Amino acid sequence: MRSRISRLGFGAFFIIVLSILTGCTRDEGIKDIEGGARIVFAHFKVPSPETLSGLIEAFERQNPGVKVIEEILPTSTDQQHQFYVTALEGRSAAFDVFALDVIWIQEFARAGWLLDLTPRLGADRLAGFLPGPVEAATYKDRIYAVPWFANAGILYFRKDLLWKYGFAPPRTFTELSHQARVILEGERDSNLKGFVWQGKQYEGLICVALEFIHGNGGAVLDGRQSALRDKQAVEALQLMHDLIAVDKISPHLVTSADEEATRHLFGAGRAIFMRNWPYALALYEQEDSKVRGRVDIAPLPSFEGYQSAPTLGGWLLGVNRFSTRSDLARKLVEFLTSQSVQKVLAIKLGFPPARHALYHDAELKMANPFIPPLYEAMRRARPRPVTPFYLMISQLLQPELSAAIMGVKPPERALEDASRLIEHILKLERE
Amino acid sequence: MRKDEIRPALLMILPACLFIGVVAIFPILNAFRISLDRRMPVFGISYFVGLDNYRFLLQDPRFWQSFLNTAYFSLLSVSLELALGLLLAILLHGSFRGRGLFRAVVLIPWAIPTVVSARMWEWILNPDFGLLNYLLQQIGLLSSPLNWLGDRVLAMHALIMADVWKTSPFVALILLAGLQMIPEELYEAARVDGAGGWQIFRRITFPLLLPFILIAFLFRTLDAFRIFDLVYVLTGGGPANTTETLSLYAYKLLFQTLQFGYGSAVAVATFLTVLLISTVCILLVKRQHHG
Repeated sequence: MRSRISRLGFGAFFIIVLSILTGCTRDEGIKDIEGGARIVFAHFKVPSPETLSGLIEAFERQNPGVKVIEEILPTSTDQQHQFYVTALEGRSAAFDVFALDVIWIQEFARAGWLLDLTPRLGADRLAGFLPGPVEAATYKDRIYAVPWFANAGILYFRKDLLWKYGFAPPRTFTELSHQARVILEGERDSNLKGFVWQGKQYEGLICVALEFIHGNGGAVLDGRQSALRDKQAVEALQLMHDLIAVDKISPHLVTSADEEATRHLFGAGRAIFMRNWPYALALYEQEDSKVRGRVDIAPLPSFEGYQSAPTLGGWLLGVNRFSTRSDLARKLVEFLTSQSVQKVLAIKLGFPPARHALYHDAELKMANPFIPPLYEAMRRARPRPVTPFYLMISQLLQPELSAAIMGVKPPERALEDASRLIEHILKLERE
Repeated sequence: MRKDEIRPALLMILPACLFIGVVAIFPILNAFRISLDRRMPVFGISYFVGLDNYRFLLQDPRFWQSFLNTAYFSLLSVSLELALGLLLAILLHGSFRGRGLFRAVVLIPWAIPTVVSARMWEWILNPDFGLLNYLLQQIGLLSSPLNWLGDRVLAMHALIMADVWKTSPFVALILLAGLQMIPEELYEAARVDGAGGWQIFRRITFPLLLPFILIAFLFRTLDAFRIFDLVYVLTGGGPANTTETLSLYAYKLLFQTLQFGYGSAVAVATFLTVLLISTVCILLVKRQHHG
C-alpha cells in the first residue's frame, strides 16, 4: 500500500515536471470565425479605453466579418518591451498589430520582427506625417511602422511672472537664465525656483540632455563614431551642470527629479520654468490647480545661433512579421493612423497627432485648445539616436550624464568614457 | 535503517530532489552555461565565447562599482538592523501593558511590500515636499532641505535608512524567538548570585542568543546582497551610479538591454558571492552549535 501511494505521487509529479519542461502548448494562432477573421491588436492601457474600442468597432463595421481583439499590456514601457521581445523571439503570432515606442523600431526592424510597410505606404504616403516619427520608423530606407501619435519636450513658464517683468518667452538658454535671475531677485521668495527639469539617472535624463546637445548643434552618433567628444556636446553638458552648481537657476533637487516630481513642484507654483512633456498642460488648467490660468508653453530654448530641438516621444503602430493576417493587420494600421482617427484621439484622449494638418484643424482647436500650440515643438521634435542599439546606448549614457551634471566627472571625461563604451557597442554591427 | 527500507526511502525523497533540481539547480547551471556565450538574440548574435564574459567582467568598472555599492549597503544596513533589532527584541520581551498591540505594530514595516514602502519613502525623502526635511528643519537640525536621493553621498545612506526601517522588525522577530527560549531560571539564579543587568546580558542573554543573531545575520546579509526593488524605485541606481547594486546592474543588462550572456555572467558572479557569504555564515553557526 505504502509503495503504491508513493508510486502514484511520483507519477503525478512526473507529469507536472514533464509539462513544465515542455512548456505550454504553442498558441494555435488565429482561428477563422464564420465568414471572416479575427486579428489581435496589442497596446498599452489608454486613458479612456471606450474611445479606442469605439473606433475599433467602426473599423469592424467597415470590414464586415472582421473581429479585432484588444490585448492590453502593462503600463510600464520596460515591461511591454520585454513582452514583445519574448513573444517575437519565439516567432509568436499571438498578436497582429502592436503599438511601438519610438525607440524600439530600429531594434525590432533589424531583428526582422516587423513587416516592411514600404510597399503599401511609400514616401509620399507618409508626407502628411511629422518628420521626427517618420525618421524613427525608417530603417535602411524602408518603413516599418506608421506614426500613431507624437510627443515632444516643451517649455512651461509662468506667464504672470514673465509679463510682470516685461519678458517674452526665452528663445535661448542665456535668455532663460537671465530672466530667471531677474525674477528670482525681484520676487525674494525662497520657495521659488528658476528652471526645473528631469535629472534623475533614467531615460528621462537622456531626453533632456539631448535637447541641450541637439540645441547646440551637437549629436550622439556620427555614423559609426560617437559625436559626444565634440565641443557642442561638452558645452551642452557643462551648461546643465552650471545651471545647478554655478548659476543656481536649477535647484539641486533636479538631480533626483523625474517628470512627476517636476510637475508637482511647478504645479505648486514654485518654479518659473519647467521642461516637461505636454501631458501636464491639461492638468494645470483643472479647477483645483494652483497655477490655473498662469501657465503658458513655448518651444524649448536652444543655444545662440541654433534651433530649438525637443526630444521626440510617442508611439507608432507596426505589423507583426509572423502574423498570418498581415493584409488585414495593415488595413487596421492604416485605419488607426488615419487623419480622422488621430483627430478623435487628440480630442478625446489628448494624444498629440502625428500629422501636420490636424494642428490647423478648427474643430480640434475648439474641442481641445491645448493641442494646436504644440505644433512648433512637434514639428521640430528630434528622435533619440536612430539605431538598433539605442537601448544599450541609453543604458550606458545614463550614469555618465548623471555624473557630469552632478559634477562627479568633468563633462569632457564623462563624454569620453561614454564615447568609448558606445563605440564598443557599435562594433557589434560588424561581427 | 533496515535494508529493505532503503529503496522506498530513496523513492520518497526522489520527488523533492527532482523538484529542487528543476526549480533551483537547473536554472543555476543554465545561467552558468549562458554566461559562456555572447548572446543577444535581438541582434541575432549567439555563439560560445568561453570565459570572455568573465574576463570582461573583471575589468568592467561598472561591475566593480556596483559590487562595492552592494557590499557597502549590506555591511551597513545589516549591522544597523542587528543592533536595532536586538534593542527592539529586548523591549518587546519585557512585560508591559499593551505588549501584544506593540508587537503587532512593530511588524507593520516588514509587512508592507517593498515597492509600496519604497514609493512611500520617495515622498518622505522628497527634497521639497518631504516629511523628513520638514521634521529635521522643525527641530532645528537642518537649516535648508537636503536632496536625499540626488546627492552622491546621501543617496546610498537614504536607501540604507529605508532598508533598516523595513527589516529591523524582521530581525527583532527572530531574536525575540531566541529570547523566549532562554529559561527564566537562569536569570533567577543569576540574580540570586547578585549579577547586575549588564553582566546578565553579557554572560547569559548574549551567548545564548548568539546562534539566533547569526541566523538573522545570515538571512539579512543574503537578502541585502540581492537588494533590487528598493533601489529600482528610489534611485534607479543614480546619481552617477552611486547606488547601483549587482542585482540592478544584472537586471539592466538582462532585461533592458537583453545582453543575456554578459548579464548571466554578472548574475553568476552575484550568486557565487552570496554562496561564499552563506557558506561562511553556516560554518560559523555550526561551530557555535558544537563548540
